[in-house]
Amino acid sequence: MPVPSHHIVPLPPPFGAPPYPADVFAGQTVLVSGGGSGMGLAMAMAFGQGGANVAVMGRSLEKAEEGAARIAALGTKVHAISCDVRLPEQVSAAFDEAERALGPVSLLANNAGANFPVLAEDISVNAWNAVTRIAIDGTFLCSTEFARRCIARGQGGAIINNSAQYIWTGFPGDAHSAAAKTAQATMTKKMARDWADFGIRVNAIAAGFFPHETSTAGRREGGTEVLQNMIPAGRTGSIHEFGWLSAMTCTPLLAGLTGQVVLQDGGESLRRSLMMPDYVPPRERAEGPWGWR
Amino acid sequence: MGWLDGRAARLVGESPAIAAALAAQGATLVADGDCDILVHVASPPPVRLAHELSHAEWRATLDAGLDQRFLLARDFAAGRRAAGKAGAVVFVGAPEQALGADQAAAAGALGNLTKTLGVEWARDGIRVNAVQTRADDATLGNLVAYLVSDYAAYVTGAVMGVDLDD
Repeated sequence: MPVPSHHIVPLPPPFGAPPYPADVFAGQTVLVSGGGSGMGLAMAMAFGQGGANVAVMGRSLEKAEEGAARIAALGTKVHAISCDVRLPEQVSAAFDEAERALGPVSLLANNAGANFPVLAEDISVNAWNAVTRIAIDGTFLCSTEFARRCIARGQGGAIINNSAQYIWTGFPGDAHSAAAKTAQATMTKKMARDWADFGIRVNAIAAGFFPHETSTAGRREGGTEVLQNMIPAGRTGSIHEFGWLSAMTCTPLLAGLTGQVVLQDGGESLRRSLMMPDYVPPRERAEGPWGWR
Repeated sequence: MGWLDGRAARLVGESPAIAAALAAQGATLVADGDCDILVHVASPPPVRLAHELSHAEWRATLDAGLDQRFLLARDFAAGRRAAGKAGAVVFVGAPEQALGADQAAAAGALGNLTKTLGVEWARDGIRVNAVQTRADDATLGNLVAYLVSDYAAYVTGAVMGVDLDD
């Protein structure tokens, strides 16, 4: 159903008007895991709009290069790197490569993740390992590699983690991601404590639904148009406002911000009534584990 | 160019850092009347053990930290609705477990009120968020200014802090 015309739907400023100056990250390099597409690309673009050099990391070099080309079109210095964030040697080598090409990495966006609707009983060991280890081990390995380098240089830094709106509620039909995304948020808080004395800030966005070309939830008959009225805000998120909030947490404007998990979901994860629609177990949903596929 | 150019903001309570950030981002600070933005700052109550709090002290904290805030937000939202305009509210105060049991009750109640009003008023275009912190510095000011700006158009019902003490 469309959003009724008398409802007011707040919109963000257009992509060309970022909230910070074009040189806010000048001279700094950001490494974005999973930066070749989707939410990672939005983060990478946002850092680029603030003048950072951008290392785009992805499992597929081709995808990373595609994303890097789009960021380079902003006038940003970019470098694409292939890396499996589950493997410590590859993570370390990727940081080496990024620093050779662009200079010391002082900003990190942990975005690499995988997610797909599946009943818990149908999750294979491989699928469980893939989803949980990319997000949990990947965030740990990239963050610790980043922190060791910052500490060795005697310079601070900032990390932003892409977590999810369903970390407090559970996510039936997506058990692997429910576990993985909450781990990211809880390690955010502890790493912020561990590294406060070294001037390294760590925050996370509990992100709602920001459709993009590669999102599972965006592939649906009728596109995302029909999903707008599901969300209290009256719309799905614009990918660039997610990128901006992510980059914003890393700016000197929020120099004291650390250990925070910021919800950006248009109110989607919050309860909206006492009475709920009939409960249907995920395995009995005619349209699949997420309920609409 | 500021985040809040052309916006009128009402700041209730004391926070020079928030006042400075709102003004720096282009907002006009107003004492009352029509405004696009309401920021309410509650000053922290004294810390006492629960059994040493009088009922009057208890009530004073709940009145300042919860009741007055709800009533003010309700009036603000009514004004926005009557004008057919969007709006933004941010509640600022101490974290839940930072002080006494009075603050624990007030801040907990306020946090869940924030989530509730964020959804209840979402289609009026009125966003409601809370920052529960002991920080009172430029980061707090900038964070609040960001939250009441269109840059945070997709942030509502969010309850957050600023630093590791929160």
